[in-house]
Amino acid sequence: MGVAEFILPQTFEPDRRTPLRWLLSHTRRYWWLVIITLIGALGNAGLAAAVPIFVGQAFNLMLTESPDLQHLGTIAIWIVASQLIRGVLQLGRNFGAELIGQKLERNIREELYVSLLGKSMTFHNLQPVGDTMARATNDVREINLMFNPGLNLVLGSGNFMIMPLLLAPQYHPSLILIPALFLIGYVLAIWQYLHELRPISDSVRRAFGQLNAHLAEAIDGIEVVKGTAQEQAEVARFTLNAQSFRNAFVHQGDVEARYLPLLLLGLAEAGAFLHALLLYQAGFLDIGQVIAFVGLIQLFGFPTFVSLFAYSQVSLGMAGARRILDLIKRKSELNRNPSGAHLQISGEIEFQEVDFAYQEDDLALEGISIRIEPGQTVAIVGQTGTGKTTLVKLLNRTYDVTNGQVRVDGVDVRQWDLEALRQQISIIEQDIFLFSRTIAENIAFGHPQASQVEIESAAKAAQAHEFILSFKDGYETIIGERGVTLSGGQRQRLALARAFLTDPRILILDDSTSSIDSATEDQIQRAIFRAAEGRTTLIITHRLSQIRWADKIIVMRKGCIAASGSHDELMSSSEAYQRIFTHYEGG
Amino acid sequence: MGFFRGLDAEAYDRSYRDRDLAQRMLAYFRPYRHRLLIAVLAILVIAAAGALSPIFVSRSIDLMVARGMEDYLILFSAILFTIGVIVWGANWVRRRLITRSVGDVMLALRRDAFVASADHDLSFYDEFASGRVVSRITSDTQEFAQVIVLVTDLFTQLFQAIILLVVLIRINTRLMLWVLSMLPAIFAIALGFRRIARKVTRRGFRAMANVNSAIKEAVTGIAIAKNFRQEASIFEAFARVNKSSYQANVRRGFVLALVFPTLNALAGVGTAILVYIGGLSNAAGIVTAGAWYLFIISLDRFWFPMLNLSAFWTQVQNGLSAAERVFALIDAESKVVQRDRLRVPALKGQIEFDKLDFHYKPGEPVLQRFDLHIRAGENLALVGHTGAGKSTLAKLISRFYEYQGGELRIDGHDIRTFDLRQYRSQLGIVPQTPFLFSGTVMDNIRYAKPETGEDEIERIARQIGGGEWFETLSEGLLTEAGERGNRLSMGIRQMVSLMRVLVQQPAIFILDEATASIDPFTEYQIQQALGLILKDSTSILIAHRLSTVRASDRIIVLQDGQIIEEGDHEALMTADGHYAELYSTYFRHQSLEYVEQAAGFATPEDTT
Repeated sequence: MGVAEFILPQTFEPDRRTPLRWLLSHTRRYWWLVIITLIGALGNAGLAAAVPIFVGQAFNLMLTESPDLQHLGTIAIWIVASQLIRGVLQLGRNFGAELIGQKLERNIREELYVSLLGKSMTFHNLQPVGDTMARATNDVREINLMFNPGLNLVLGSGNFMIMPLLLAPQYHPSLILIPALFLIGYVLAIWQYLHELRPISDSVRRAFGQLNAHLAEAIDGIEVVKGTAQEQAEVARFTLNAQSFRNAFVHQGDVEARYLPLLLLGLAEAGAFLHALLLYQAGFLDIGQVIAFVGLIQLFGFPTFVSLFAYSQVSLGMAGARRILDLIKRKSELNRNPSGAHLQISGEIEFQEVDFAYQEDDLALEGISIRIEPGQTVAIVGQTGTGKTTLVKLLNRTYDVTNGQVRVDGVDVRQWDLEALRQQISIIEQDIFLFSRTIAENIAFGHPQASQVEIESAAKAAQAHEFILSFKDGYETIIGERGVTLSGGQRQRLALARAFLTDPRILILDDSTSSIDSATEDQIQRAIFRAAEGRTTLIITHRLSQIRWADKIIVMRKGCIAASGSHDELMSSSEAYQRIFTHYEGG
Repeated sequence: MGFFRGLDAEAYDRSYRDRDLAQRMLAYFRPYRHRLLIAVLAILVIAAAGALSPIFVSRSIDLMVARGMEDYLILFSAILFTIGVIVWGANWVRRRLITRSVGDVMLALRRDAFVASADHDLSFYDEFASGRVVSRITSDTQEFAQVIVLVTDLFTQLFQAIILLVVLIRINTRLMLWVLSMLPAIFAIALGFRRIARKVTRRGFRAMANVNSAIKEAVTGIAIAKNFRQEASIFEAFARVNKSSYQANVRRGFVLALVFPTLNALAGVGTAILVYIGGLSNAAGIVTAGAWYLFIISLDRFWFPMLNLSAFWTQVQNGLSAAERVFALIDAESKVVQRDRLRVPALKGQIEFDKLDFHYKPGEPVLQRFDLHIRAGENLALVGHTGAGKSTLAKLISRFYEYQGGELRIDGHDIRTFDLRQYRSQLGIVPQTPFLFSGTVMDNIRYAKPETGEDEIERIARQIGGGEWFETLSEGLLTEAGERGNRLSMGIRQMVSLMRVLVQQPAIFILDEATASIDPFTEYQIQQALGLILKDSTSILIAHRLSTVRASDRIIVLQDGQIIEEGDHEALMTADGHYAELYSTYFRHQSLEYVEQAAGFATPEDTT
């Protein structure tokens, strides 16, 4: 059993067996809102049905010999009163559903986030951030919208469908006929309609996506398009995409034009009228009852016109729930191993016959064996995609090896207490992520108790002090969207300052920034050389100076080590290595 | 979402006179006028049928009261059934025709907009964000075409209301005045709700945008938080944002939940009034029972158009301003003007700037009486600080921008007399950030010459290091590049854009060298590819790499749009002028001497 990496003391445990049970268990917490919504929906429909009934009564009253005008006034007042109450009940239905939706959005997003925090680094490295983002924003929102307007309208229109069925037989039992027929026809027609429409709406969406993506690409690359005189080819491509969108769009319109419930509504109204008149002539109904019945049938108008988009909203919400639950339930296969080794690392690293595959039988690393002494600086070089980053991420167990062993201080990393291991290994990624907080808070992120003096001396060692002071607010400057933006080199130096503060025993640096000018380059180089002192350091680098002065160089190629050794050794043994140092000379 | 628009006006926007705008819009619909005419007929049928059905019902009530319904029973029922079928059928015709018109108008407008966009010169794209241009071509065209749906829907309901209005006034004017007197109140309330809803929605969207960006940070930050075991601290930040989003949304939800209950309650009041007053009139013998009934059920049919009307005008205005934005995009004037479209012979690549004046913005000259002669086949490196005018020279040669004075001659011909497509097909341009299109690496390499065979592409690709660079890709030359090339590394993207030029074999090669850092092995191959191109063409190199500068025949040192030094690397270094200064600013750290000296960087006394 793996133990999650982050657990929040929680009072509520949802049922995660199926998406439906999951949503139900979330909803059950707000049973009182569910009751308000249900009462609201029923009352709203019932009081909407009251209007034709009152109107019928008014007619019967006035058709008597000497009508009681005061009674007519009473009926009018009843209509007003019933509709005011109906307003309150409808508000209860609307707002009840709205509140459930909002509360579920909030709670589910939190549940998702806590579960994300509990998952392993492996999970987060494999899971695209954009995808997680989409679940935490769009999918969670879909669940909200599933309640309102989705289920709210389904519930509302469902009650409108039932009212004629319940109320019409009071005038004559046979009057149930038309409402029942309409209900059956409506359900079948809607089912067929949704079934037919779904693939078509998908194709419309796809065609639009393609049109938009290609257009955006062509406009972004307009310099290349014009520079290579390919305007006409792009216009042809665009026209093709726009044409296929047009066809899908028209196809969708054709299906929508055939919307059968509209026809059923017209037929039901006529049929109800005929039925009522026949009963009237046979003496079973009076005029007021005919009027009331015809009015009841008109309640069907609401479900006919409104509920369509409510159904698709509900199915979108269910799909969102499925995706979120899928993400929450995905196993995070790393074990924290809290009872494992908990020692001070001295920094010896050994890879022994290591293979690694992200997906089965597709090896990203193959047969890696290498030994690094404590305190050594190792440069890892090679083209993008040759496994450099994967290699270093086996060290802190971002991933676990498929075969072989990775040992730190002679102990397999899987035998270490994960917390102790990670605390002593720092990774500075290629894309450096900084929080929208102050510079000082970002530097002290791994060590929140650090004093201002400690923060500043770390910044100085990382050659960051100077540029930090160049901002108006110095260390209190806020980074990010609403604050200052930093260059790649500046972000890198802040990350180095962070590492100086946490003082890891093993430092891993994915260094791929480039400096436009020599002065910045000087500072970054100094910061990195300084950071490598007194600890084992692995640098994935493109910089010749770091390669030149590393204690050891590992050249990666297609997931294997193509060559390794010191600079002097490689200069004599590897032709490819030799070339990169000599072509600068000749030019 | 319409009301978010209009905030993003661009400099090329213009306002069209209403008449011109209308004429231009109509021109797009004109090819479909027959279709639209039939659609209008269908609309009239729907409206008439919709108004007729309550009239028949009310008439039959009168007959029932008079006990004379027997004779008409079958007839009336048949009419009502027919009306149901006709409404559905006419609606079917209307929707089909209108969907087709909307689809076709959208297609035509999009095509025109894209053709115009492909034609605009680069100064246009410097000024206007490409995302906005894209949204004009996709969203604005759609919004414009949808106007027709809005208009027809509204007309259906208005027709229906007008028919009933006429009938009801003829039955009883006084009762009708009661119905009409309620309209302003309904209208005012609908408008008021729209305003409030718009406000809370806008606030909700703003809160949503904040929440989304905060969530983005919270999600992106998970990996780093885990690295430092700081999960609890970022959870707190997340929970705060999540809560504030909930509060903003509940507030918005309450206002929106209030709309329909209010309107329904009002409708109840209206019905009650008609029941009462109509009943009194019936008792007084002013109206028949059927007419009374007609008044009661017609209330709804006046409501709907009024509610729609309150939303209609803003929606149509949105559609019109969308049209205006699309037309402005189509009409934006090109600054690059060719005097002639002469056929361009095979060029040798001689380039002459003759007393050339150029500015991006009036009053801020970049080049003044600029002279430069580049020999055919020469490799020229341009160096200088940012803003010295290096890219300007390259872009003028590409004819992406218009110059204001002097002359620019290619092989002795005025560049303004060329057929631009023919001319550019003899240029090989590599922008600073290599741009790849989705498709395979192969397709990208032959982008400028799509007719080139696969064998030929492979032969060219193998000229560099035996083709090892593409063999390391998962599918070799058939590897998908992904959107904008995002599935390939920067180094490979640069290789591909150089390969593109090798396929093209242009007379003139323009390189804005990338600054991104590349692994030394790929870097070496890029240099080799570059060497192959330089051999056969006149080259203009905006150099950021020391090796490129040194590979050139002549270095031009630019400062504020003027040539202040020229010569080769050694000579310029010896002269110890501006070039020597540029060297120590930009190129020193790329030299081997620097690499050797880097060992001294670790000494602690460096930090002060």
